[in-house]
Amino acid sequence: MEIITIEKKKKGLEVLSNKEDGKLQTHMNACVHCGLCANSCVYYNAMPEARFIPATKVELVSSIYRRYQTFSGKFFPSLVGARSLDDEAANEMVDLLFGACTLCGRCVTHCSIGVDISYVVKKGREMLSAMDMIPETLQSTIDAALESGNNMSIPKEEFVETLEWLEEDLQFEVNDDEAKIHLDEEGKDILYTLNPREPKFFPLSISAMAKVFHAAKESWTLSTKMYDITNYAYYSGNYKEAAVITQRLYDEVERLGAKSCVLAECGHGSRAFRWEGPNYLKKTYPFDVFTSVELLASYIREGRLKVDPAKITQKVSLHDPCNLARSGGIWKEQRYILNACVSDFVEMTPHGNDNICCGGGGGQLAMSEYNDRRMAIGKIKADQIKASGAEIIATPCHNCVDQLTQLNVTYKLGIKIMTLGEIVADAIVLENEESN
Amino acid sequence: MLWYHWLATLSAVICLSSCIIHTFKVIRAGKPKDYAKPSGDVSASVRYSFTGAMHPAKKESAYMHLPTYIGGLLYHMGTFLSLFLLILLSLGLYPSGILTYILVAVFSVTAVSGLAILLKRISSSQLRALSNPDDYLSNILVSLFQLATVALLLSQDFVAVYYVSASLLLLYIPLGKLKHLVYFFAARYHLGIFFGSRNVWPSKQS
Ligand code: SF4
Ligand code: SF4
Repeated sequence: MEIITIEKKKKGLEVLSNKEDGKLQTHMNACVHCGLCANSCVYYNAMPEARFIPATKVELVSSIYRRYQTFSGKFFPSLVGARSLDDEAANEMVDLLFGACTLCGRCVTHCSIGVDISYVVKKGREMLSAMDMIPETLQSTIDAALESGNNMSIPKEEFVETLEWLEEDLQFEVNDDEAKIHLDEEGKDILYTLNPREPKFFPLSISAMAKVFHAAKESWTLSTKMYDITNYAYYSGNYKEAAVITQRLYDEVERLGAKSCVLAECGHGSRAFRWEGPNYLKKTYPFDVFTSVELLASYIREGRLKVDPAKITQKVSLHDPCNLARSGGIWKEQRYILNACVSDFVEMTPHGNDNICCGGGGGQLAMSEYNDRRMAIGKIKADQIKASGAEIIATPCHNCVDQLTQLNVTYKLGIKIMTLGEIVADAIVLENEESN
Repeated sequence: MLWYHWLATLSAVICLSSCIIHTFKVIRAGKPKDYAKPSGDVSASVRYSFTGAMHPAKKESAYMHLPTYIGGLLYHMGTFLSLFLLILLSLGLYPSGILTYILVAVFSVTAVSGLAILLKRISSSQLRALSNPDDYLSNILVSLFQLATVALLLSQDFVAVYYVSASLLLLYIPLGKLKHLVYFFAARYHLGIFFGSRNVWPSKQS
């Protein structure tokens, strides 16, 4: 058990001490312990123990808040269940707030009161971060991003080489020697970002988007300096580090003079940059930010891309990334894309804003010590996929792709997992195809 | 005024001023500044947060737990109604005739609903793990007050018991979880802002 020093404890408690934050005060005081959120959580549903009830995670933080920030907690701690921040509490927080919550937010909309449970869990993570208690596995991913510019520490030469052979592939595929993957070009309409998993493990998703941009005649570029859309410091609760990562992408958009920044298919990265980033930096972006999902839908809607649903005849279902749908308001666009690009699209139940988390969010994929729990909660998604009867699962998030790939093996689903970019790229009817 | 009237009046003043302070504090603190460009209609979302989003068909906490949900709804209605009746009785406005018996029936049902929720908390090991003494005490005080209301409506002999139970409840409201009376509204407001700026609410999904 990690021992916390007085200094660390002080730093942790400071996170809860902001009297000017009405949201903090509200959500720390609102839970009534009805326990009715239990069945909305993948952890509880997979492992029905009291510690996995969302309210238990809330209580870990709010009981400490009560102890130090409320009259009754200071004077009658036992009566109101106010708890001191000690070694035991801090270690329990690490285990449950990092290791038993994907920050999917599903419990939030179902809570009988309206407690923002994932906000409270994030406050707890912020406390642990202030106390230097972020799991090492998660921190090492952040350190890699801070030190090398991308969370997989891909050297620039390797990245450029990958893009060069992808460009050759693209030219062959679209039968056009002028087709390009633009690098570090200034004054383009779009600066496109990537999840470093793409150059490392899934380069075809880069080719897919390059094909889409080519077909849509987009003015776009990638940066070789800062292309990483992920921001694992959003998960760790270290918002100073989150700000550094955000600032780098912000600076790159400015340096290249791009009109807008398009976020690759990455749920948490999109959320961290689009919604949380301006608050880390305390400024509103002077450029537009949108997701590639919105962009793909607009290309099809505006006729910039011609797609043929007959090209994808397998049954396709969709997994909505929590950060994109439930916490990002993007759920219509992916359906529009799939309805246009595939001939047999089926929904999972539930879906959209009420979708069930795949189990890979909240930084879980980076924290190998919780792998067993991650695979256990993923069974719920695996069962949902089986019930859909789909042969292809489309999902606009590389974290989800990774988790679904592991679920596919563990639960023998026999499915193919694709990003939306890949689906669209497969369904595109190129101009030279049309004329043939 | 008798001693129990004074006690109840004092308790009401303490309760009311504490609740006002809580409300004032949370309103004054306001919402955190959001630098992200909103993509939805925040006002519509706040309205939705208090209306459509509270619909039992939208909440697993309601439709997956219907008996508890209905019990909780009745219990809360009983609480508000009994506090309203306390004001009327304190002003000397007593119900009479059939209305008395209707109120007796209503408060009996709502008090039993409260006690059933208490029983559920006691009998479920998982709910026990989640509970602290405040959870039990809050329920007992509210249920007791509703039962005392029934007793008073049936017989004036219980007038002292009634005002004492009202006073205990009023004094306790600002201390424990009963102050969700204030924070419930604040929580719905903040959720409305959060989901509204991101165009998640009002939900347009079927
Ligand atoms: S449903 Fe909401 S109020 Fe009830 S225990 Fe869960 S978090 Fe608390
Ligand atoms: S945010 Fe998701 S994983 Fe976390 S407690 Fe809520 S439902 Fe469970």
